[in-house]
Amino acid sequence: MTDVHGAVDAVWKLESARIVAALTRLVHDVGLAEELAQDALVAALEQWPEAGVPGNPGAWLMTTARRRAVDRIRRDRLLERKHEQIARDVREDAAEDGRDDVLRLMFVSCHPVLPTDARVALTLRLLGGLTAAEIARAFLVDETTIARRIAGAKRTLAEERVPFGLPAGEELAERLSSVLGVVYLIFNEGYAATAGDDLMRPGLCLEALRLGRLLAELVPHQAEVHGLVALMELQASRATARTGPSGEPVQLHEQNRGRWDQLLIRRGFTAMLRAREAGGPPGPYVLQAAIAVCHAQARTAEDTDWARIAALYEALERLLPTPVVRLNRAVAVGMAHGPGAGLDLADALTTDPALGDYHLLPGVRGDLLARLGRCEEARREFRRAAALTGNAAERAFLHRRADAITAPAAPVPTLGRAARDFLGRDGLDPGTARSYGQTLRRLCRSLGDDLPLAALTADEVARVFTAAWGGAAAQTWNRHRSAVRSFGAWASLEDLGVRLDRRTDIRTPAPVIRDAELETLWNRPGPSLRERALWCLLHESAAGVGTVLSLNVEDLDLPARRARTGDMWVVWGDRTAVLLPPLLAGRTRGPVFLSDRRPGPARAPSEADLCPETGRRRLSYERAEYLFKQATKTVDPTGTGYTLRRLRVRGRGSD
Amino acid sequence: MRYLMMTNPTDTAPDESLYAEMGAWLEELTAAGVLLATGGLEPGGIRVTSAGDEITVTDGPFAEAKEAVAGFALVEVRSKEEAIEIARRFRKLVGDGESVIQQVFGP
Repeated sequence: MTDVHGAVDAVWKLESARIVAALTRLVHDVGLAEELAQDALVAALEQWPEAGVPGNPGAWLMTTARRRAVDRIRRDRLLERKHEQIARDVREDAAEDGRDDVLRLMFVSCHPVLPTDARVALTLRLLGGLTAAEIARAFLVDETTIARRIAGAKRTLAEERVPFGLPAGEELAERLSSVLGVVYLIFNEGYAATAGDDLMRPGLCLEALRLGRLLAELVPHQAEVHGLVALMELQASRATARTGPSGEPVQLHEQNRGRWDQLLIRRGFTAMLRAREAGGPPGPYVLQAAIAVCHAQARTAEDTDWARIAALYEALERLLPTPVVRLNRAVAVGMAHGPGAGLDLADALTTDPALGDYHLLPGVRGDLLARLGRCEEARREFRRAAALTGNAAERAFLHRRADAITAPAAPVPTLGRAARDFLGRDGLDPGTARSYGQTLRRLCRSLGDDLPLAALTADEVARVFTAAWGGAAAQTWNRHRSAVRSFGAWASLEDLGVRLDRRTDIRTPAPVIRDAELETLWNRPGPSLRERALWCLLHESAAGVGTVLSLNVEDLDLPARRARTGDMWVVWGDRTAVLLPPLLAGRTRGPVFLSDRRPGPARAPSEADLCPETGRRRLSYERAEYLFKQATKTVDPTGTGYTLRRLRVRGRGSD
Repeated sequence: MRYLMMTNPTDTAPDESLYAEMGAWLEELTAAGVLLATGGLEPGGIRVTSAGDEITVTDGPFAEAKEAVAGFALVEVRSKEEAIEIARRFRKLVGDGESVIQQVFGP
């Protein structure tokens, strides 16, 4: 029998409540009764390993303890008369099943003369049969603290001469509520561990469930008892689902409902039915159980009847206006009637001193704020909640929630989004869209796509403008200025251009390239036929660069040395006349000036810009400008190269 | 922790007094919050076997009836020792025979 100690412990835990209760009836002192019961336990530990575990170990313990009680009383030399009385009591007791005694013991150990933590420790000790070491481990305090707490409780009960009786009438309800409170406290300490690294200590939950189930049999006509049992069974049914693989908490609405314990849910529903049978107006435990029933009945989180839960919380708040209940109501209202309504209720609690250091308040506010898209505040609240909780798993979870808020949960209009919508809106002329696009892309690059639109101010705009286009031509500056003002008006923002002055062009146009330089250019080898034809045409016609590049072969009247564009003529001279025929090389349609390569498949230009004969596209302004700058770098005294515009002889031609 | 106690059938039929005693004991265990579910099982039963894609359904009784389970009890206890203690009390009540207890994991 190597396992005798384990067997003795098991028997003890199953029987101790009954034994201690029976002995208390005998000696009228809980402390003494417990001591005598412990003596019997010690005797079992001494004798069972040798003699073997008796056939009915519970009865053996009870008999041994009773005998010791009688011996003790004799030793104390009580009056003979009282002695006889005791002998009679012992005989009578043997006939009773002792159930009422267990109930009396519960009332004593949860007596209001005791401080709450003493009630909890004494109840676990006397009714659960836990040792001081086991209780200490469950509550993460040292053993001597618990031992002292239990000893103090026993002393108080003796000094106050707390009777070993059953309360009746009004007192019953009051005393019962104290018992229920202790049981639920034990359950909650197990279910939502307030300290330590584990989120749950299932041992305490089991103790509380057992005490509750026992109590439900002992006082079957009290609805609140069944309410508490229902509440605990239903909460316990979610025990395994409420922690993730690495011990992190999983919130109710994210739990895998398949992992809910259907057996316990059914037991909870049954207890709820018994509560209803017992009748009377619903008390706090019945209401809380009704809320738990709502959750258990919802097949998915989305199916949850939040309106009903909010109503139940409202009823609960009337009976139990504690800050925690009010906070839970805020959560329910937030789900039923939107985060704004929930936040109103939660905000009202921020001034409550009782919740000053309660981590769930900032946790709940963080959640509601996140749903409202108030990310910064939400992140702050989650961080604050993490700092306040004493539980490591919960702290890690709250930090993760704070970190997760990078993208706003609710869509907040951002600069990038607004710019895309602005440019993509119907009826915007493509040319304008291109021009506005340059302005807005610059803003987005400088300020970030994610900048909330509301944070875009005229000051920010002015800063970007100065950096990007401070040195640009007045025309460029004004173009961007009108683009940003148009955008601001579209987005109903303040005038974004209020810090941008309209500029007048005070700079003199760049001088025309001198003839001597042009001569070297014309006579230099290198530039292709296309380049030389373009440059000559620009110089001789003085037409705009865009106009010249947009010319098509069909527009040309080579013999007359002119081309029609719109209602104007582009006219050229000798040099161009020589260069154009070889450039066209027999082409009869399409752009006069073509790019070197065919466009890639991803960049399909419009048909008007494609040469139907060669498949090449029209030469772009940018490319032509680039090539001219490269070609004139050596001629230009500044070394950057000339712009095509400077080929035009002012005062001649169109544009 | 939960344990499932399964009891094999015996040759002797239970008498009235055993039923009464058993009823009282089960009530006590339920009241103590230990017994979560219990029930007796029909002898034989129906056997469903699968091999490859084949599912075969066979009606009992079966030859190896001794290994069958006649009843079960699901208990919630603090320790293995408590489960053993409860099984011990059960066996004492019902007389000769055999029960098997196994811890239940999950759900």
